[in-house]
Amino acid sequence: MSYLEYQVKYVPSGFRKLMYLNWPVVFLITAVSGFGFLMLYSVAGGSMDPWVTAQSQRFGLGMAVMMIMALIPIWFWRNMAVVAYVVALLLLVAVEFVGVERNGSQRWIDLGPMDLQPSELMKIALIMLLAAYYDWLPLKKVSRPLWIIIPLLFIAAPAYLVLSQPDLGTTILLVTGGGAIMFLAGVHWAYFATVIAGGVGLVTAVFQTRGTPWQILQDYQYRRIDTFLDPTQDPLGAGYHITQAKIALGSGGWTGRGYMQGTQSRLNFLPEKHTDFIFTTLAEEFGFVGAFGLLVLYALIIIFCVMSAITNKDRFASLVTMGVAVTFFLFFAVNMAMVMGLAPVVGVPLPLVSYGGSAMLVLMVAFGLVQSAHVHKPR
Amino acid sequence: MIRTPLRPLARILKAREQGQNPDAIEAENKRLRHEDDRDRSRLQAESRLLVMGVAFFCAFLVIGARMGMLAGSVPEEPTAQASGSPIIGQRADIVDRNGRVLATNLDTHSLYAQIPDMIDPAKAARELAAIFPELEEDELLEDFTGSRRFLWVRREISPEQMQAVHDIGDPGLLFGPREMRLYPNGSVAAHILGGATYGREGVNSAEVIGVAGVEKFFDDALRDPSRGGAPLELSLDLTVQAASERVLHGGMMLMQAKGASSVLMDVHTGEIISMVSLPDFDPNDRPRVLTAADNATDQSDSPLFNRAVQGVYELGSVFKIFTVAQAIELGLINAGTMIDTQGPLQWGRFRIRDFHDYGAQLSATDVIVKSSNIGTARIAMMIGGERQRDFLGQLGLLEETQVEMVEAPTGDPLLPPNWSEISTMTISYGHGLSSSPVHLAAAYSSLLNGGTRVEPTLLRQDGPQNGPRIVSEQVSAVSRDMLRAVVTEGTASFGDVEGYEVGGKTGTADKPRPTGGYYDDRTIATFASVFPADDPRYVLIVTLDEPSVEALGEQRRTAGWTAVPVAAEMTRRVAPLLGMRPDVETATPTGVTLTSN
Repeated sequence: MSYLEYQVKYVPSGFRKLMYLNWPVVFLITAVSGFGFLMLYSVAGGSMDPWVTAQSQRFGLGMAVMMIMALIPIWFWRNMAVVAYVVALLLLVAVEFVGVERNGSQRWIDLGPMDLQPSELMKIALIMLLAAYYDWLPLKKVSRPLWIIIPLLFIAAPAYLVLSQPDLGTTILLVTGGGAIMFLAGVHWAYFATVIAGGVGLVTAVFQTRGTPWQILQDYQYRRIDTFLDPTQDPLGAGYHITQAKIALGSGGWTGRGYMQGTQSRLNFLPEKHTDFIFTTLAEEFGFVGAFGLLVLYALIIIFCVMSAITNKDRFASLVTMGVAVTFFLFFAVNMAMVMGLAPVVGVPLPLVSYGGSAMLVLMVAFGLVQSAHVHKPR
Repeated sequence: MIRTPLRPLARILKAREQGQNPDAIEAENKRLRHEDDRDRSRLQAESRLLVMGVAFFCAFLVIGARMGMLAGSVPEEPTAQASGSPIIGQRADIVDRNGRVLATNLDTHSLYAQIPDMIDPAKAARELAAIFPELEEDELLEDFTGSRRFLWVRREISPEQMQAVHDIGDPGLLFGPREMRLYPNGSVAAHILGGATYGREGVNSAEVIGVAGVEKFFDDALRDPSRGGAPLELSLDLTVQAASERVLHGGMMLMQAKGASSVLMDVHTGEIISMVSLPDFDPNDRPRVLTAADNATDQSDSPLFNRAVQGVYELGSVFKIFTVAQAIELGLINAGTMIDTQGPLQWGRFRIRDFHDYGAQLSATDVIVKSSNIGTARIAMMIGGERQRDFLGQLGLLEETQVEMVEAPTGDPLLPPNWSEISTMTISYGHGLSSSPVHLAAAYSSLLNGGTRVEPTLLRQDGPQNGPRIVSEQVSAVSRDMLRAVVTEGTASFGDVEGYEVGGKTGTADKPRPTGGYYDDRTIATFASVFPADDPRYVLIVTLDEPSVEALGEQRRTAGWTAVPVAAEMTRRVAPLLGMRPDVETATPTGVTLTSN
């Protein structure tokens, strides 16, 4: 459906667009990032370096990018969807060959002053492409098998490439995020039911046959799954982070030990304390109150995004907004669940709080899309 | 569902008739359809959003609840689980049947270098090379100045070395606590214990894993924290094991054998009291596995090879007692039945001979005492191949033993491809079927302990195994009498040990050539014995690989001249250690005159 078919009465233009920004989201993002700076300052032992300065510069840059993106009409972004996806996919292929390897996984392309992580770009590009696809596809074709295979391929190609890097966390985000957009676009229930039933069946089959002569996997593979699901079995290896994180959360209690008073994180018990596991520092220093406060801020961001999506009549804009919301949700839900031992450790940062340039910039770009969709709502 | 027609033909036609423009109607219709479409998509999108919202809400609830749970939990004391504290007592000790330590852990330190933190790499390299003679100064310096950031210098260091390294004073040289596996008795029971090595290593601790023997077989149990560090109790007796090794080593040297093994087993419980395989090694410093570069023909030349468990040999005449015992059990013969021993025995193109010609007939006892192949083969023909196979199977000679070592499955007996009549005959005197000394010990125990099956075990048992009956008490007793007669008047006359009433059977088997056929001058000499014969307690198997000794002006390779005296010496040494008192008949005083008379 063309954008012009909506009976648009008014679209803001020029800098007047700024008045129509989704300001609550801007404030919430700033608040969460501020929380992040506080925590990075604390884990650095009360110092701006090495993390706060760099992180705040990136936040400033990200804010600027978000504003610029917000001023560009949403239909431009819809037309860019295919280009963005193809570029991101090519970069993902390129990273297989020219990528830089770190911590045993090949994800980065060296661009001189900064490193690029194509899988981060792909998170946005995939949302854009799927939203554009369902915007283009007539409604009655949405649930036909042929028209379902196409978006599945869109999701599978980058998911496969990212999984082979290997980066399980991003793969989960891509697949779940893509699936959520398909769900929101109105693909028939039966498909989701089938996939879920199939998945449950497969997992059951894998575990039920264990120990029998026709078991599906090898013994050592089962043991790896065991440690993956229950890292406490291996307290020196995979389970080390989790044990330490749980101690940190427990020692924070309800009100926390006070800012800069955390022992677990400051005494270097925790690796990755400034990136994926920064939530533990927060929970130790600010306790349940602080941790729940952060959760509420995240929830408010999601709520404002969902409200914007509901009131937006444009299908592309609505789907992109929801796609970003779902991805954002998955970011912090997976991270928090992982840190609190509810889910296996898969390496997903806490959005806007964890130290890291790529993730921060990508989230700001994603919120740029959300803002653009909000500003250019058919009113 | 009520569908709006794509084109409202009825209305258009009517309008045409009335002369009005139908386009307006069509445009109106299109607009209505679009609105309808949009409304439906809105409705669907909103219901989907609602579902999504509920899912989000649930996830928030779970995360929030978990936060509350963790916040409300009593924090575990962080220092207790801090990463810096070494993990002690990870691996349980291994002790013998009397609680004497066979394997334990020693706290020591590893030395590693954080190269970016080093101040003076040249000095550090020089002084390290002085402390550890096996390290080269140039190589160390190369490592310290190269692109490496981390280097293990030594896996284990002594306290003196640690102090010396500490005195270098370089902040880049660091120590990590570490446990090492220690075998305080050196090479004693080396093959049984196996050895251990490091698995995953970190600077704060390292994983100790078993590589062979019981260390590997019980690896999970030894590392299981839920056992609370309770030691693993083996059936071995450390003093008996050590004495057996000394005697066997001396015997091997004397008989110029290239290898030797012995197994001492409790006939009622199946416990292995000692098990030796020579040449041996020190499990504290395991030699590497032989490779093609060592020009080794097979792994059995390696000191790591456990002859008692992994070595399957054609053990020869020691099998004859099984044949005779089975024939008696089946009621085919009794101990006095005369057996035709007229030789040679021709069967197809095979010809069975005896070592000496024993004349036309021997009693069944004498077939064993004199070790007649022909007589045994004739008895086997009475039994028949199928019954023979069943019987050997009941004795456990046809499958791998269940002894608790990772090497046990590799000691799988070699069976003839088809159990033909000629196989039946040759197997009756121990050729054509290969098995390990442990197999033989278990089979002898089962036959002689009163006739019930025992499985060999390396774990301490609390009472006798009450296995299925194989032969009757009487047959077991008759078999022991025959074995006793072998020692008193037969081929094993050097085997008698005064006071312990040894019974046994010799076996001398020519070694097969790798190319087929048998060597003339290479034998496996075995003596399988039981003592005391009237009330059996232990079975002792001694096997010498390629023995050769000069006696009475001849090179002797038969078991009677080689394995038997070694076994006798071992019994003489070991029996008192096992707490057995010699049963010596009081001599009647002869040639003594009372002076007072």
